[in-house]
Amino acid sequence: MQLEFTCNGRPVRMQADGSMRALDLLRDLLGLTGTKEGCGRGECGACTILVDGSPVNACLLYAAKLQGRAVLTVEGLAKGEVLHPLQEAFLEEGAVQCGYCTPGLLLSSKALLDRVPHPTDPEIEQALSGNLCRCTGYAKILKAVQRAADRAGRGDGTSRRGREAGR
Amino acid sequence: MEYLIAGSVEEALRLMGGLDEQGRSARYVAGGTDLAVQLAGNAAGGQPEALVDVSGIPELLRLERAPGGALSIGAAVRLETLARSADLPACLSQGARAIGSPQIRALGTLGGNLCNASPCGDTLAPVIALGGRLVLASVEGRREVPAEEFFTGPKATVLRPGELLVEVDFGPAALAGRSAFRMIGQREGQAISQVNVAVWLLAEGGRMAEVRAAAGSVAPTPVRLAAAEKLLRGQAWSQGLGREAGQAAAEEVRPIDDVRAPAAYRRLLTAALLREALAEACEGVQ
Repeated sequence: MQLEFTCNGRPVRMQADGSMRALDLLRDLLGLTGTKEGCGRGECGACTILVDGSPVNACLLYAAKLQGRAVLTVEGLAKGEVLHPLQEAFLEEGAVQCGYCTPGLLLSSKALLDRVPHPTDPEIEQALSGNLCRCTGYAKILKAVQRAADRAGRGDGTSRRGREAGR
Repeated sequence: MEYLIAGSVEEALRLMGGLDEQGRSARYVAGGTDLAVQLAGNAAGGQPEALVDVSGIPELLRLERAPGGALSIGAAVRLETLARSADLPACLSQGARAIGSPQIRALGTLGGNLCNASPCGDTLAPVIALGGRLVLASVEGRREVPAEEFFTGPKATVLRPGELLVEVDFGPAALAGRSAFRMIGQREGQAISQVNVAVWLLAEGGRMAEVRAAAGSVAPTPVRLAAAEKLLRGQAWSQGLGREAGQAAAEEVRPIDDVRAPAAYRRLLTAALLREALAEACEGVQ
C-alpha cells in the first residue's frame, strides 16, 4: 500500500506491505536502526517509538497504522550535533550500560516530559513501566529523567530540587 | 497477509463478507496488541489471509454520555483514554490502567480486550459489574448481548463469523453507583492478573440497595460472584460483612492451578480483593 507519514519531522512517501511491522519498516526500509528489537512481543519496550506523541511498541504496530501519523524515533531526538536534554542527562548520570534499552527509554521519557514537565519519581516509574533494562537497574535512569526535567525548568532560574527545598 | 482499512462499520462488514465469499480467512484488528503477538507465534488456525483494521472507524471511537446519564463507549476507544478519564465509572478506569504498559494502553482498545476474551483481561470484570451491554453488528443487523453472556470460554465469545463489536452501553445506574477494581499480578507494572475483581453498588440510606461483583482469572470466563452479592444486598458495609462476602466468593469461584498461580491462592485472592474493592467502593457511604 501507499504510505504517507512524517518520520522525525520529514515527510515519508513509500510503498510498503501494510501488514509488516512498523519496526521492520523503520529498520529495514528506512535504515533507522536506532529502534531495537528485544522480545518482539510488546513486553520489553526496546522498540518504543512515539506516534503522534504517544509511546507504542513498534514490534506490535502494523505498518499501515503509520498512515498520516507523526513518528519520532531515537534518531529524531538530537538536533544536528546537539543532543536532546534527555540524551545529555542519560550521559551525565551514566544511565546507560549496554545501551540496548536506551532508545526506548529515551522516547518513553520524552513522552512523559512532554505531558508532565516535572514528574514525581512514581510518575516516572509508571511512565517507564513498559521499558525493561536488564543491565543495571533503574536508579540512574530515574535520576537522568529528573535531571532533564530540572534542566527544562531552569527558565525560572531554579532547579526542581531547589524549589522543593524552598517550600 | 493483505491489510484492509475500514472507514465505517458497514464497510468493515462488507469487506469481511467479501473475503468470506472468496474463501479467504480474515480477522478484524483494532490496536493489534494481542493479535500481533498471536500471529507472530504459531497461531492456532494459522495465519489469516487478510486483516480488516477497524481502529479508525468514527462510530467505534465515540465516547458519549446521554443526557439521562447513560454511557456509550465505542469498541475502538483506547485503553489509555479509559485509564486517564476521571468521569467514567471508577472500576473501568482502574481496570484499563492495570493492563500492560503505557505502550500497550496507547494501542489497545476496550473492544479488543473484550473480544480477545482472555479470562484475565482487566476490563472484563468491570464491564460485567457495571451491567454493560455489548452491541454486535453483522450484515443481518445489530443485536445486544449482556456482558456476562458474551464470554463462553477462554478466548471464546458469542461473536459469530464476521460479526463486529461496535460499542458497549451502560445504563445511567453505572455512573450513578460507586465502583472499584482490584487486581494482583506478580509485579506492579506490565503484569497479568492472577485474579481481578470489580464491584459496583448503588447505596441508599447507608445500605447497598443493589450490588454486582465479578471476578476474572478464577474460571474459564469472568464470572459474577452471585453468592457474595446475595450476602451483601440490602446490608450496610462493615469489615465483618466484607469478610463474609469474601469467604462466599472464594467458595463459589472455580480457579485452576496454572503457571501464574495455584488455585488455592486464587481463592484467597478472590476473598481479599473483593473485600478491598468493597471497602473502597463503600468509602463515605452514609
